[in-house]
Amino acid sequence: MSDVAPDRILRLAPGCRLSSAPGQEDLLLIPEGALRLKGPARVIVELCDGQRTLGQVVEELAQRYSGQDVGRIQTETAELVAGLHRRGVLEYG
Amino acid sequence: MKYQLRALIAEITHRCPLHCVYCSNPLEMQQRSAELSTEDWIGIFRQAGEMGALQLHLTGGEPLARADLADLVRAGRAAGLYLNLITSGVGLDERRLDELIGVGLDHIQLSFQDVAEASANEFAGTRSHALKLRVAKMVRQRRVGFTLNIVVHRRNLDRLEEMIALAAESGAQRVEIAHVQYYGWALRNRDALLPARDQVQRSIEIVETARQRLQGRLRIDFVLPDYYAKYPKPCMNGWGHQQMLIDPSGRALPCHAAGALPGMEFSNATERPLRWIWEDSPAFNRFRDESWMPEPCRTCDRRARDFGGCRCQAFLLTGDAAATDPVCTLAPTHQLVENAVQHANNGSAGEESWSAAWVYRTDPAPAEKITLREA
Repeated sequence: MSDVAPDRILRLAPGCRLSSAPGQEDLLLIPEGALRLKGPARVIVELCDGQRTLGQVVEELAQRYSGQDVGRIQTETAELVAGLHRRGVLEYG
Repeated sequence: MKYQLRALIAEITHRCPLHCVYCSNPLEMQQRSAELSTEDWIGIFRQAGEMGALQLHLTGGEPLARADLADLVRAGRAAGLYLNLITSGVGLDERRLDELIGVGLDHIQLSFQDVAEASANEFAGTRSHALKLRVAKMVRQRRVGFTLNIVVHRRNLDRLEEMIALAAESGAQRVEIAHVQYYGWALRNRDALLPARDQVQRSIEIVETARQRLQGRLRIDFVLPDYYAKYPKPCMNGWGHQQMLIDPSGRALPCHAAGALPGMEFSNATERPLRWIWEDSPAFNRFRDESWMPEPCRTCDRRARDFGGCRCQAFLLTGDAAATDPVCTLAPTHQLVENAVQHANNGSAGEESWSAAWVYRTDPAPAEKITLREA
């Protein structure tokens, strides 16, 4: 389950969205409440837009965070994505 | 302010086409003529957003009974809130559903009373089950968060497996299986609703098995009856800690049932700023910290976890809102709960002719004809 294929398209499940209120902390609003997004998690969730595959999300992150180890970006993104999927927050297209 | 408002629960009307025997509305409901206007509600939502609240739960009664519901959803979203509609589904058609989603509805929580139609209609006091099945189908065809809420009790708990199957087939992402809580209407009907211990035990096993089988497909939230718990529930996560409820007339309460507490003065959100009510009103501060606590709560290790339990339950069962929740096995008044539990486990506990004994929730609309049947 934690091994997501890189060609899967990622998008937030119905009823889940990033908070849009200005000045609010980075929160992912879900039916039961809210998840606090730390560090690059918000950027990752923003990239799960129903258009990009996991591979494309990782590519985009590698560009934005150039200088970081791509292998590590890949592993950590896949872990976050799998965790959100298990939680029912993220869908695989 | 130590306490951050997280969620606003807006009881936008007490009118409802259902008459559930365990309704969480107060016994004395607000009439239509007392309901807040659209503008009043919009002002309240804006204030809640400014105070940093995240979620707005639109509930009732039946919120669809208000013709301005779409305006309220739009205003809630504009205030930066996550919009949840808690509904029986009665009054929802495709056009209205599309309209609500179009103006920003995030999530629908659809209630079911049972999986068996005749019983569902009996508990709801109205024929609504078949319609709810059609509404579930409409909702799952659209992109909106979808939770099923099934209220369980003595008379339907033995059909829990079928209820979970209903939820899995409904296309909902999540199901809340919530035991009746014994306030208001449900307390009146408690003898008929409180399950036996072996029913509760079996339900826990069924839920555990189903969670494994449906992992990744359906989330199952399960609320046990607190009468069978060793310690009380952390009611509302603490009085005035995270949530505020506004009743149809604008009265601001810390929870659904607090309006029944004697000697409390609850401010009206049309007369006072929401921030003052939250931060400074005597009612919201009454049970907020630990200074009100009696023994054994005052020195209990669990006091920061369960906050002494539920103030309303304490009042309803002991007559004292500042008593330890009698559900707690350490409470001096625990025998009150023990007696009810013993009765529920006492052989047949008078299973005959329940339907003749239900006290149905009435409707606040004065023109409505109601048959009130006393036990």
